[in-house]
Amino acid sequence: MRSFSEYNPIAVAVWFFSVTGVAMFCSYPALMVISLAGGVLFFLKRNGFTHRKTHLFFWLLFAVLALANPLVSHNGKTVLFVMNHNPVTLEAALYGVNSAVMIIGVLYWFRSFTQIMTSEKLLYITGALSPKLSLVLSMALRFVPLFSRQSAKISAAQTAMGLYKEDNIVDDIRGKSRIFSIMVTWALENGIITADSMEARGFGTGRRTQLRRFGFRRGDILLLAASLALLGVTAAAIGTGALSFEFYPSMEMKELTFLGISGIISYAALVMLPIFIETEAELRWKYLRSGI
Amino acid sequence: MEILAVRDMTFTYPNCKKPAIENISLTLERGELAVLCGATGSGKSTLLRMLKRELSPMGQVSGSVIFCGKALGELSDRESASEIGFVMQKPEQQIVTDKVWHELAFGLENLGTPPAHISRRIAEMASYFGIGDWFGRDTAELSGGQKQLLNLASVLVMQPKLLILDEPTAQLDPIAASDFIATLRRIANDFSITILMAEHRLEEVVPLCDRLLVMDGGKLIGEGSPSEVLAGLGDRKDIMCGMPAASKLFAALGEQGKAPLTVREGRNFIESTYGNSVRALESETAPHDGEAALEYEGVCFRYEKNGADVLDSLSLRVNTGELFCILGGNGSGKTTALSAAAGLLKPYSGKIRVFGKKLKDYKNRSLYRECLAMLPQDVQTVFLRNTVREELEECSAELKELPYDLSPLLEQHPYDLSGGQQQLVALAKVLAAHPRLLLLDEPTKGLDAAAKESFIELLKRLKADGLTVVTVTHDVEFAALCADRCAMFFGGKIVSEGAPREFFSENSFYTTAVSRMTRGYFDGAVTLSDAAELCRLNGRKES
Amino acid sequence: MLLIKSKRLRDTIRVVVPFIAVPLITVLGALAFDEKKHIIIALAVAVSALLVFAAGFEKKSTGTRRMVIAAVMTALCFAGRFIPILKPVAALTIITALYLGGEAGFLVGAMSALLSNFYFGQGPWTAFQMLAWGLIGLFAGILSDKLLKSRVLLLIYGAATGIAYSFIMDVWTVLWYNRGFDIKLYLAALVSAVPYTVSYAVSNVLFLYLLAKPFGEKLSRIKTKYGV
Ligand SMILES: Nc1ncnc2c1ncn2[C@@H]1O[C@H](COP(=O)(O)OP(=O)(O)OP(=O)(O)O)[C@@H](O)[C@H]1O
Ligand SMILES: Nc1ncnc2c1ncn2[C@@H]1O[C@H](COP(=O)(O)OP(=O)(O)OP(=O)(O)O)[C@@H](O)[C@H]1O
Ligand SMILES: [Mg+2]
Ligand SMILES: [Mg+2]
Repeated sequence: MRSFSEYNPIAVAVWFFSVTGVAMFCSYPALMVISLAGGVLFFLKRNGFTHRKTHLFFWLLFAVLALANPLVSHNGKTVLFVMNHNPVTLEAALYGVNSAVMIIGVLYWFRSFTQIMTSEKLLYITGALSPKLSLVLSMALRFVPLFSRQSAKISAAQTAMGLYKEDNIVDDIRGKSRIFSIMVTWALENGIITADSMEARGFGTGRRTQLRRFGFRRGDILLLAASLALLGVTAAAIGTGALSFEFYPSMEMKELTFLGISGIISYAALVMLPIFIETEAELRWKYLRSGI
Repeated sequence: MEILAVRDMTFTYPNCKKPAIENISLTLERGELAVLCGATGSGKSTLLRMLKRELSPMGQVSGSVIFCGKALGELSDRESASEIGFVMQKPEQQIVTDKVWHELAFGLENLGTPPAHISRRIAEMASYFGIGDWFGRDTAELSGGQKQLLNLASVLVMQPKLLILDEPTAQLDPIAASDFIATLRRIANDFSITILMAEHRLEEVVPLCDRLLVMDGGKLIGEGSPSEVLAGLGDRKDIMCGMPAASKLFAALGEQGKAPLTVREGRNFIESTYGNSVRALESETAPHDGEAALEYEGVCFRYEKNGADVLDSLSLRVNTGELFCILGGNGSGKTTALSAAAGLLKPYSGKIRVFGKKLKDYKNRSLYRECLAMLPQDVQTVFLRNTVREELEECSAELKELPYDLSPLLEQHPYDLSGGQQQLVALAKVLAAHPRLLLLDEPTKGLDAAAKESFIELLKRLKADGLTVVTVTHDVEFAALCADRCAMFFGGKIVSEGAPREFFSENSFYTTAVSRMTRGYFDGAVTLSDAAELCRLNGRKES
Repeated sequence: MLLIKSKRLRDTIRVVVPFIAVPLITVLGALAFDEKKHIIIALAVAVSALLVFAAGFEKKSTGTRRMVIAAVMTALCFAGRFIPILKPVAALTIITALYLGGEAGFLVGAMSALLSNFYFGQGPWTAFQMLAWGLIGLFAGILSDKLLKSRVLLLIYGAATGIAYSFIMDVWTVLWYNRGFDIKLYLAALVSAVPYTVSYAVSNVLFLYLLAKPFGEKLSRIKTKYGV
C-alpha cells in the first residue's frame, strides 16, 4: 500500500528522467503538451491548490518565453506583421509557444521531483554511484542547519555577555562580522572532530557497504520495467523519425504511422504511471478497509 | 585475560617542554570497568587518546601499548577501528550522519558488513538501549542525554573489546548519569567488554568500578581497587575531595582502615559507629526578604507555534544578594528560562522583571551594561578571538582577582584548551562584565573537585559584594554547598523550592549522597560538613 | 599514464582530458554536424564529466579530514546562497581550491550546486551549474601558486570567472530554449543577463577581497594543527 513517493528512489528516478528526458530532447508538440499537462496534474495531485506563487511564476515565465522567440527569431514563411523593420512570423511564434510548453512542463516535473526526493533518497541514489560522495553530501546537508543554529547560539551568547553594548550600526556590523569569523573557525574545527570520529569508527579502512532503507520490491521492479518499456517505444518512435515536426521554414508534420501513434500513447502512459499507481493504491485500500 | 597493557608511556606535545603524560604503565583485564580520575589538565584525555590509534595526537612518544597481545601499531586498520571503541566528551561533535538509524549503521558500513547483517545488529542494539522509539528521527533533534546514548550504542554495534569514554556524563542530569553508568556496568558484565573511562563525577561510578586510576601532573599516582587507592591517598586532599561522600566522611572523621564507598556502606558505617541522640543542627536560616533581583510572573514560552510549551506559566522570585540554584532533568527547560531572563527569547505571555524593571523597559541594550550577564551552557560560544590573551584583554578581565591561574594558557587558541580550562576562561570573561545579576548555565561541568571548591569560594566572595547569582546545574553537591535557595525545575516550571537543607532532605533522587546516607538517622544533613559535625556532636558509640 | 614520468604532467593530463578535451571535441563536433543534437550532447558531456570525476574520487584515497573540510565549505556555500543579490559561492569555491587543491575545489563547487538547488530549484541546468562552479574551483586549484602570491591576480580571476560563469550558463539557456545553438539568441540572452553577470563578477571580487585572507588564516591553522 505504498504511495508513489515511497517507491524505491532509483525506480522513481528512472521514471522521472524518462519523462523529462523525452520532454527535453524532442520537440514534437503532442508530446510537449502531454508532458505539460502531466506535470501540472501531478503537481496538483500532490499539493492540491496550494503553492499559488509557484503557479503564478511559472505561467508568467510561460508568457515571457512564448513571446521571446518571435521577437528575436525571424525564420519562417508566414509573416504576421512587421515590427521595427523585422518580420514577426507565425512559425516563430508557435515555435516559441512549443518551447515554453516544454520548459514549463519540465519545471513542473522538477518541482514535484524536488519534493519527492528527500535528502535521504538523494543519498541512497548517490550512494549507489559513490558511497564517499554520498557521505560528503550527507554531511554537508547536516552542517547547514547545524551552522545556522550555532551562529544563532553564538550571537545570543555574545549579546548576553555585552558584545553589542553600544546600540549603533557600526557596532552591530563589527559584532556580526566577528561572529561570522569565529563561526567559520568553529565549523572547521568541528569538522575535524567529526572526521576523527569517522576514522575512529573505521571510515576509510576498506570498501564501504551501505545499509539500504529502501529495498527493491516487486512493485519497484514493475515500475522500473514499465518505465523502461514505455520509454523504449517512445524513443523508437522519435529515433526512427516517426514523430517529427518541422517548424521552419513552414510547419510540416510527418503523417502518423502506427509506430508514431504507439509512441504518443506510450509517452502518455509513462506520464500517467504515478497517477495510476496512486489511484490503484487508494482503491485497494478502500476495498481492504471495507473488510475490516 | 589481559586486554590492554601500557608500558612506560611518555608523550610530549609538539612545542611543549614538559611531557603531558610520563612513564605510565598499566594493564586492564577482560570485562573490567576502570575509572581514570585527576585534576583538569592532568593528562587524562591525552592518555585515553594514545590508546586509540586514529585519535592519537601528533607529538613525541615513547613506550608501547599492547592490545590483545599485539602492539597497537601492528593492528590492521579494521581491527583497530572495530575492536577499540571511543566515545568522546561532547556528544554533538561525534555524530556524523543526519539520521539516528544511519548513525547506528555507520561503523558497520565502514567495515563492509553485508546490509542484512547490519540491520540485525542495529535492531538488536536499538532494542537493548531502548532507541526504537526515535530510530527514524533526525540526530539534531535529540536531547543531550539521547545523543550520548546514541554515541555509546553506535560504538557498541561494532562489538569492540575495549571501550574508552572521555567524561561521558558531564552534561547529563543526575538520574540520566546514574542510568548511564549502570548501563556501562551492565555492558561490562553482559558482554565482557573492558571499559576505561575518564570522569570527574565520581560519586556514582567509583563504588561500581573494578579499578580506579588516579593521575596527577601526567603521572599515574594511584592504581588498584577503589578502597585500596583511597587508603593510599589519605593525605592528598585535592584528590580526595572528588571521591564518594562516604569515603570523604570516613576520612574527615579521621577513621583508619577500609573506607566505605557506597551510600549503603556509608550508612552502615555511621549507624554502627556513631549515635544519633543529636538529630539535627541548629539551622542558621538567613531569611532574605530584600528586593527582587529577578522575577518571573506566569511566563509562557514555546519555540514553535504548534509545539509544546517549554516554559509553562513559570513564576519565580530571586532576591538581591542571593545565590540561587536551579536543578532539573535534561530538556526540562532550564536553559530556556535563563535565556528568557537574559532577554534572548521573548515569552508569549507573562512578565519578567530584572531589579524591578520590566525587560522591555531596558532600552538600547542597557540591560547588558553592568546589569546582567549570562554564561551560556556551551562555552565555546563565548570565544571570538585567536588567543586567550586577546579574549581577556578585550573584556579587560583582571587576572589577579581570579582564584585560579590562567597565565600558562594565555598564548593558546581558546579552542585548543582542555574542556575544564575552557570553562575557566569563559568564567573569567563573564565576570569581567561586572554585572549585578549573574546567570550561570552549568558552570561546573568538566571542572575537577578542587577547582569546583575554589569556584564556590569565589561565588561566596562575589555574593558578599552584593552580586546576585542564578545558577543552573546538574551538580547537586555543588548546589548543596553554595546555594542560599534551590529550586527544582520540571515540565517548564518550578515545582519545589527551599533552602538546601529542607530542599535536599525532601528529595529522594535529586539529592546529595550525604542526604541519602543519613536520611532517617539524622535530620537535614545534606553536606559533608553537616554530617561530620553531627557525628562529632554525637560522639562514637561505646561498644 | 605510466610512461609519463613527470607527476605534474600526469596530473595535468588527468584534468585536461575529461574536463577540457572531451567537452571541446564534442561541442566542436556537434557544431559541425547535426544542430538538433546539441542539447543532448551538451548535457551528456556535462553529466559524463561529473561521473568521471565521481568515479575518480571514489577510487582515490582522500583523507577523511580533507573530505569533511570540503563538506564544511559546501555547507557554507549553501548557506551563502541565501544572501540576497551577492552570492559568495564561487568565491568560497576558489578559496577552498587555493588551500586544499583543485580537486577539493571542484568537489565543493559541484556539490554546492547540486545541494543548494534542492532549495533554489532543481532543473536540467543543475548539471551545467555543477560543471561550471566545479571548473571555476578546478582552475583556481591549478593556478593556486600564482593566485596565492598576488592578490590582484586573484581578484582578476574572480571577476573573469564571474563573467565566464554567466556566459556558460547562457549557452545552456539558449540550447535549452532553442535546441540548436543560435548566435542571435545567445547575444540576446547575454544582454538580458547583464545584471546577473555584473552581480556574479562583483560578488566574486568583493567576497574574495573580504574573505580570502581570514579564510586563508583559518584553513592554514587547521592545516598545521591537524596536518590535513
Ligand atoms: N593540542 C595540544 N597542544 C599542546 N598542549 C596540549 C594540547 N592538548 C592538551 N594540551 C595540554 O596537555 C595537558 C593535558 O591535557 P588533557 O586534555 O589531557 O587534560 P585532561 O586531564 O583531560 O583535562 P580535563 O579534565 O580538563 O579534560 C594540559 O595542560 C593541556 O593544556
Ligand atoms: N532552539 C530550539 N528550538 C526548538 N526546541 C528547542 C530549542 N532549544 C531547546 N528546545 C527544546 O526545549 C526543551 C527545553 O530545552 P532546554 O535547553 O531549556 O533544556 P535544559 O533544561 O537546559 O536541558 P539540559 O539540562 O540538557 O541543558 C527541550 O525539549 C528542547 O528539545
Ligand atoms: Mg579531558
Ligand atoms: Mg541546559
